[in-house]
Amino acid sequence: MSRAEIIVIMGLMAFALRALPQLFFVGRKFPPAWDRLLRYLSYAFICSIVSITLFMTGARFDAGAAPYRGLALAVTIAVARKTKSPVTGMIIGALLVLVAFRLR
Amino acid sequence: MGMFFGARFRQGMKAAVPIWIAFVPSSLAWGIAAQGHGLTLQEVLLMSALVYSGPAQFAVLVPLADGQSALQVLVAGFLMNLRFLPMSMTLAPFFHGVKRLPLTLASHVVSASSFIVPYLQFEKERESHDGAAQAIDGGGNLAFFVGVGATSFLVWLVGTGAGYGVALGFPPGFEEALKFILPGYFAGLLVVEMRSRTMALVCLASLIAAVPGALLSPGWGWLICATLAALLGWGWETRR
Repeated sequence: MSRAEIIVIMGLMAFALRALPQLFFVGRKFPPAWDRLLRYLSYAFICSIVSITLFMTGARFDAGAAPYRGLALAVTIAVARKTKSPVTGMIIGALLVLVAFRLR
Repeated sequence: MGMFFGARFRQGMKAAVPIWIAFVPSSLAWGIAAQGHGLTLQEVLLMSALVYSGPAQFAVLVPLADGQSALQVLVAGFLMNLRFLPMSMTLAPFFHGVKRLPLTLASHVVSASSFIVPYLQFEKERESHDGAAQAIDGGGNLAFFVGVGATSFLVWLVGTGAGYGVALGFPPGFEEALKFILPGYFAGLLVVEMRSRTMALVCLASLIAAVPGALLSPGWGWLICATLAALLGWGWETRR
């Protein structure tokens, strides 16, 4: 099998995973308990993605960068909460990361 | 209807700007890495267009480039992309009344980023409209979703091609700040939208457990930890 063929099959598999729930669950109102579970799952996934993106490089923990990235995340959360603006929090956090990286 | 679609699409585009910024370095990095591993420009663009999943693309790059078995590459890609299943399922109820064809086509741009931003927006709108009392505007929601997803997809595709051709030398620290933009934005969105204490605990537990989980099992660990945290929080909330 050529590389292009493998890529096409992989793309079709990814598309199936994305499209099938849309075809079977569209507009369906879940019971309140299920609705709440889906919401909890979504929030938990988002937090895990935040953590993995910030603290991992491939399968390795970024020990050197973790302290200042963690600090920047805490500042971002505090600023976003206080100002009710995720963008403000994000900008301040990114600037903090930039400064911390240069001071390192 | 057309104007309304356009307005919601533009609203989605505006909300996607942080995603575009974050996609620039990662798509460039993918293009550069793929070139380094000997993939052709056509293969690189084909993969970004069809698979459209940074983690899966990076995960299969080495086995694909090394000519390892097709089954191994496909299983690795499938496992990495399994996360799209719950994401797409969670979004589906918000597209009430939309025809199957546009929905099927639009689902191609479901990614972690283009799931999070619309999902939190729809939740906010649902709460402000007093939940079930208000009918869900599926068409408007789809327009918002496409505004986020399709434009981010284009940035990913163009960035991939650019990365293949140009090895950009970011000044030291700049790339580090760019890497922070997406998780920082998501964390900010979550904390602004968060209502209950149980939800805050679920989020904190997932945030803390994700890294040890990923160290134990790179593909599945964080996903299992997040699922457990959500189930525990849900069980606790349901019992009360």
